Amino acid sequence: METLEEIKARIEAAVSGAQLEILANDSPSGQRSLLVDDNHALTVAMFLRNDPGLQLDYCSNVTGVDWPDKVEKIKTKVKKVVDGAEQEVEETIEKMTPGFLEAVYHLYSMSLKHGPAILRLRTENRTDKVHLPSLTPVWRGAEFQEREIFDLYGIVFDGHPDLRRILMWDGFKDHPMRKDYVEPDDYEYEPTPHAEVLEKARAHLPQPQPKEASA
Amino acid sequence: MPDQPYLLLVIFILAAIGFALLPLGVAALWAKFFSPAKPGPDKNATYECGLVSKGDAWVQFKSEYYLYGIIFLIFDVEVIFLMPFAVAFGGLSVGAFIAMMVFILLLVEGLAWAWVKGVLTWK
Amino acid sequence: MIDEGLKSELSKQGIFTTTFNELIEWGYNKGRANSVWPLQFGLACCAIEMIAASMARYDIARFGSEVFRPSPRQADLMIVAGTVTKKMAPQVVRLYNQMPEPKYVIAMGACAISGGPFKQGYNVLKGIDRYIPVDVHIPGCPPRPEALLHALMTLQKKIEEQHLTGPQQARHLNPEAPSEFPVPEYGEHDLVPPKNEAVWQPPKQAKDDTQGNV
Repeated sequence: METLEEIKARIEAAVSGAQLEILANDSPSGQRSLLVDDNHALTVAMFLRNDPGLQLDYCSNVTGVDWPDKVEKIKTKVKKVVDGAEQEVEETIEKMTPGFLEAVYHLYSMSLKHGPAILRLRTENRTDKVHLPSLTPVWRGAEFQEREIFDLYGIVFDGHPDLRRILMWDGFKDHPMRKDYVEPDDYEYEPTPHAEVLEKARAHLPQPQPKEASA
Repeated sequence: MPDQPYLLLVIFILAAIGFALLPLGVAALWAKFFSPAKPGPDKNATYECGLVSKGDAWVQFKSEYYLYGIIFLIFDVEVIFLMPFAVAFGGLSVGAFIAMMVFILLLVEGLAWAWVKGVLTWK
Repeated sequence: MIDEGLKSELSKQGIFTTTFNELIEWGYNKGRANSVWPLQFGLACCAIEMIAASMARYDIARFGSEVFRPSPRQADLMIVAGTVTKKMAPQVVRLYNQMPEPKYVIAMGACAISGGPFKQGYNVLKGIDRYIPVDVHIPGCPPRPEALLHALMTLQKKIEEQHLTGPQQARHLNPEAPSEFPVPEYGEHDLVPPKNEAVWQPPKQAKDDTQGNV
């Protein structure tokens, strides 16, 4: 298969206005991916599937990723004049990166036997602007996995033929795979080696009365 | 006794009926005196694999279903007749061969009729 | 009524005494214990062990329980074999409700008795005994077919010890004892109610909750 740079250049030539970005990957696999903007995602996906050199006709896997709001504390050394003398003072600046949700598509070619090419779509934020274009019209196999992402992460896929919850029931309100999901507290009784779980369970048990109160 | 030859049979019939009814009667009496009936909205509901049943259990099947069944049955029977025909094919007379061809022709006519009627297309 | 001491003394001499009531009870319970028909349904991998138990090698037919019924109307025993998800729990409870009395429940495997490896997950019920009364719990992930057979024998023993009258009367013979249990409903965050207080209550004190937490 062509390198990601070549693919990116060819997409940019074929789909006018498409904003693409190659995302690096620090993990041992080093598998880089292609970030596509929402408005051109469907056209880009069509191109990837139909282009004779690529023919990425098989979407093996669609995953959701939740990136919560990130607060970075950056320590900088600033030279300041304190009491007439120049000193180096450490200052901490909090840099806030807003969170977003991500859908990751792993694409292979059955006819040319190559792949994977990885496609990423990102929402604007995690609360209200969580719409992404559905790629089910391009790869039919993405249907259930997009439904699963809608169920567990809360990404709304526009253009999906049947967007309903797939694992949880219809009246369910939460998105359990998000980082800030709080599960229902039914830890009444847990004999467990996990200290964290044990703490939750102990909160339900009657607390031992302090001896001063009884005396 | 000699002038009543069927009396023995009547006794046998009564005994047979009693043999069948006695356990049922005992079970009914047992249920009446010992195990209380506990009906409830869930227990009396239509069984639908644990889900809440929707609609009525009495539904109509389309007539196409029966036509499928009949056509399947015809060809099932044909296969049963064709098997021995194929096994004994070498030693058959011309008359037997023609008789078998007529039989197959009749069935093919039926198939052609069903085809023309549009039974074979699923709606 | 014969005195208990005299009864045991007589039995030492080789004389067996009984009452009509005891005889009836014995026959009734033997009959029920040796024809426990399970409801045919499996929820996860434990069902494979249940199937193995019903096949020739382990042969649950030796205990009269080979007749797996496809309808709850004909079943006496519910083997909850596998993970009960919160989405599945109302269906399981409803199936239990649709079974006629007398009915018994075996919770098979770690998931059915406690939630098992998915205990701290968001979508698995922490034990079916939160909604329906369970007679025998089998630990294991999954339990071997022998464990299921042992549970069945335990249940048979339990059935044989039930009485027609008195304080140890069988549950199904008591007109006051409920035969149906409330089916939980799907809520916005969890099942509503999360547990049936009448059936299951958490232990008031953690007996030994530091176990393994060294």
